[in-house]
Amino acid sequence: MAVLSSLPIQLAWLIPCYGFLGMAISLPWASGWIKRSGPRPAAYLNLLLTLVAVVHGGLILRSVGRLGPQHLQFSWFEVADLHLQISFELSLTTLACLALVTLMSLVTQVFALGYLDKEWSLARFYALLGFFEGAMAGVVLSSNLFISYFLLEMLTLSTYLLVGFWYAQSLVVTAARDAFFTKRVGDVLLLMGVVTLSVYAGSLEFTDLYAWAPGAGLSPLVANLLGLGLIAGPIGKCAQFPMHLWLDEAMEGPNPASILRNSVVVTCGALVLLKLMPLLQISPLAVTVLLIIGTISALGGALVAIAQVDLKRAFSYSTTSYLGLVFIAIALQQPLIALLLLFSHGMAKALMFMSVGSVISTTNCQDLTELGGLAPRMPATTTAFLVAAAGLTGILPLGCFWALALMVQALQDHSPLATGTVLLTHGLTAFNLVRVYRQVFLGPSQPKTRRTPEVGWLMALPMVCLMVIVLSTPWLMMRFGFVSGSIGLSSSSVLAVVITGLLGTLAGFRVELNKTWSRSVQRPLRLLQDLLGQDFYTQQLYQRTIVTWVASLAALTDQFDRQVVSGLVNRLGRASLSSAEALRYGVSGQLQTYVLTIIVAILVLLSTLSWVYR
Amino acid sequence: MLTPLLLIPFVGAALLLFSPAQTPPGRLRLGAILVLTLQLGWCLAVLARFDPTTTGMQLQESFSWVPEIGLDYRLGVDGLSLPLLLVNAALTLVSVICTRDISQRPRIYFALLLTISGAVNGAFLAGNLLLFFLFYELELIPLWLLISIWGGAQRSYAATKFLIFTAISGMLILGAFLGLALFTGTVDFSLTPVLTERLAMGQQLLLLGALLVGFGIKIPLVPFHSWLPDAHTQASTPVSVLLAGVLLKLGTYGLLRFCLGLFPEAWAVLAPWLALWAAVSVLYGSLAAIAQTDMKRMVAYSSVGHMGYILLAAAAATPVSLLGAEFQMVSHGLISALLFLLVGIVYRKTGTRNLDVLRGLLNPERGLPFTGCLMILGVMASAGLPGMAGFISEFLVFRGSLDRFPVATLACMVGSGLTAVYFLLLVNRAFFGRLAITRSLDPIQDARLDIQLAPVAPRETLPATALALAVLGLGLLPIGLGRISESTTTAMAWAGGSVESVERPQPAPQAQPVANAISRAMNSGITMGGEG
Repeated sequence: MAVLSSLPIQLAWLIPCYGFLGMAISLPWASGWIKRSGPRPAAYLNLLLTLVAVVHGGLILRSVGRLGPQHLQFSWFEVADLHLQISFELSLTTLACLALVTLMSLVTQVFALGYLDKEWSLARFYALLGFFEGAMAGVVLSSNLFISYFLLEMLTLSTYLLVGFWYAQSLVVTAARDAFFTKRVGDVLLLMGVVTLSVYAGSLEFTDLYAWAPGAGLSPLVANLLGLGLIAGPIGKCAQFPMHLWLDEAMEGPNPASILRNSVVVTCGALVLLKLMPLLQISPLAVTVLLIIGTISALGGALVAIAQVDLKRAFSYSTTSYLGLVFIAIALQQPLIALLLLFSHGMAKALMFMSVGSVISTTNCQDLTELGGLAPRMPATTTAFLVAAAGLTGILPLGCFWALALMVQALQDHSPLATGTVLLTHGLTAFNLVRVYRQVFLGPSQPKTRRTPEVGWLMALPMVCLMVIVLSTPWLMMRFGFVSGSIGLSSSSVLAVVITGLLGTLAGFRVELNKTWSRSVQRPLRLLQDLLGQDFYTQQLYQRTIVTWVASLAALTDQFDRQVVSGLVNRLGRASLSSAEALRYGVSGQLQTYVLTIIVAILVLLSTLSWVYR
Repeated sequence: MLTPLLLIPFVGAALLLFSPAQTPPGRLRLGAILVLTLQLGWCLAVLARFDPTTTGMQLQESFSWVPEIGLDYRLGVDGLSLPLLLVNAALTLVSVICTRDISQRPRIYFALLLTISGAVNGAFLAGNLLLFFLFYELELIPLWLLISIWGGAQRSYAATKFLIFTAISGMLILGAFLGLALFTGTVDFSLTPVLTERLAMGQQLLLLGALLVGFGIKIPLVPFHSWLPDAHTQASTPVSVLLAGVLLKLGTYGLLRFCLGLFPEAWAVLAPWLALWAAVSVLYGSLAAIAQTDMKRMVAYSSVGHMGYILLAAAAATPVSLLGAEFQMVSHGLISALLFLLVGIVYRKTGTRNLDVLRGLLNPERGLPFTGCLMILGVMASAGLPGMAGFISEFLVFRGSLDRFPVATLACMVGSGLTAVYFLLLVNRAFFGRLAITRSLDPIQDARLDIQLAPVAPRETLPATALALAVLGLGLLPIGLGRISESTTTAMAWAGGSVESVERPQPAPQAQPVANAISRAMNSGITMGGEG
């Protein structure tokens, strides 16, 4: 097979490198060594490299289509009984994911040229995007838990830096901090799992791990802890309850990064979980936890999204919600449905965030209560919003329709609870989409939306391209073999999805959206609004518990260090000094006393020695 | 081949000391740089001659110096000491390069730096216990002078504290070495392991305990760490670089070479307690670091935490964990030196290290953007982000130790998570946010920075950039260091592991990696005594 594999496949390791190379190339502009040309050349170089990555990925896809799945492996570090390898799996699935990542990165970078037109540190932004893209491309291709972990951590770092892009704003600083901490907690737990697997299973290749898992013979405690550690990383990456806070706060960052974060970054986390799925059979507890977390995130995210008045946050919570559905699918052993959902959600959500970005860049406002009446003024943006909404819901036969209907069909017999969650989430999402649509695009125009021309071509072009892609998702799915043409969808599942979607839409159109209702005077309603608007008070909960605990433990340690450890040393020193001061007056100056002291000391020493040598 | 590593710095120090009194400081600095470049070059030459496949001491030089007391002049290098020699040569060079505008007694200053470098070389090369002790003590006095003459406002307190702690450490180590001669009745100060045939376990434990406390002070481990934050805060930047990057490694080197190497059996008895001690040290250091507001103190406490990993790895004594200990020594040397350099730049430009005062230093026009970028890289490396030296070291330590001490290893991993907490807080407070825009004469009193920050010249960040590149290089291509050290650390682990397998005749199924390594060591021709 190695002989047959063509050049693009042999050079597949270059694909993550394109992104990292883009970062390295941008450094002279980002650090201000080259000032005369302005930051634009860095952006163009990054775009070019991403284009190369897209083309390379396409070539590999063609070769793999001809030759079948390929596996590339390089040795990275081998000592004693430890073998760490870099290995890539080139199959239709991973390459489709790669195409998703690189394409999204490409359109986002074009979009960013328009969105960040006047940004002085454009080069830094593109450097970080390159870093981001490289790490993501590596994660989707990797067939090795070690490399997956390695790159997931790099994603954590680049998320931190991208969220903190406008680091002079205080909200951005806390958002970047929280993004890093939340993901880092998940990563450390995942590292514990990785190290444990490395010890017990020997190899970290996914295929070796799958072979090892059935006969592992771990004690239930170890197996459960291991399972929980392994799912913790993806929970953090996919912004699932209780580690979902960062995605909402991360909306403080620049919008183009939000496009990627809400579509492909969460997808990367879920893909790692998908690859870990066969391993989770060692721990039923982890699977149960996965199901519970997915359910809470799906419903909770959908509910909280409805109560948001910030345009970006209304959709970031919806990302949490959809990834919750993916988690449910993975917990119930439906990898294909999970993939399908990831794909269709990823593309539609990216389009949604482009549309949102266009609105924000034109109006300089992301408060829903101050927007309105944009539909006649910004036709392309409005169409993009509608297409994205159709792609996210299952009323029209676009991406999520198939994913949701298949999921309902697969689950309805043996898991009615999960089916109910899927349908309820779908209805709530449709409701939320219609609510936001009415507040932003319909109704009378507001002071901030009077002069709102359509966005320039640098933002409109990627938006329209992505629109076409979202509209062609059914065809793409058939092309990649996710759904066959004559798929046996039962009419009941189709009806269930369409009806919940329509109900949500109808409710969205009927609900009163008066400005005075945004925080009601009726106490029960206001409490509910506050509860959801404040994300079930998760932030306050963290503040009261973990943050306070760590801070007080640190303060306690510091006090102990100052008072006890250092204090003891200081007191010892002071005691010896003062005793010397006191003894000074006891010295008589008589030679006889000195001689006597010396003789006694020598006698004591000698007798001790003779006792030792006895 | 090895004696020049002592001659170059010592002769250089003597030349600088006796140079004409009117020599301008710039020329002295240049002279020191030349000497240290020569030393680094010679280290590289040693590296070229080094054969990584053999396990024992190489390039040995031996000469019976004072045979009556067993003091031999015996030098040798192996996979444990060679990387540390390189780190020493590189970091002394860095600390001389980053010494600027020294006006007070420049001749003595540079001579002392060279003396320290030579003494550290001697300690790493020594193949005789007494010789090691001589060099171990020799490094103490110059450092004490460096802190107490060129230090900060409270330098005398810090220097005295340092002197007393380290002198006690030296006394304990000397006592243990002499006690060895006393108990065994022979004046043999070579590096042969002391086994139960020669010495009863109780006496072994006594000697090992003295050595542990002695080196524990130097490393430092909780509760003997209290001298380190004070010494760091009062020392100038170049001295901090040397102290954190090189001198702490004397303690961990002693731990591996003399505690584990001399008393493998007693070590195996104490190992579970040592792992516990390591976990306490890591968590204590990390938690204390979170509460600090002085940047230098924070980095100093992080050293306390990160040195704990080495104790954990040494306690586990598996081939992977010992290699991890070596990696952690090198990477901590590079990373902490980098962090101290950067804190030094911030201090020089802003006049404060207080995290309640510093804000928004990443500002591209009036702040320290490049320093900030390097700082982000440094703290991420220290927090164990992949792609940098900290990650592979910690991974090896954890991977090697988890099997033997699962609870302690998991606790240390939590400590690794806490590292991210305090260093991220450092970056967030000092570098993110908005730069103050009012004029301020005294930044500490007004609790804000002056708008007039002096720009950082590229040459000032040059040493830090070089270190950052080394951190990245080691993180991305760790195999180079792995090749140098692997056979030595594997042999050391085997020496400890054989004891282990005598105690546990049937290795548990989880202990397979260790058993594999042992069997591989057996196959490679090393006969193994004591295993049925």
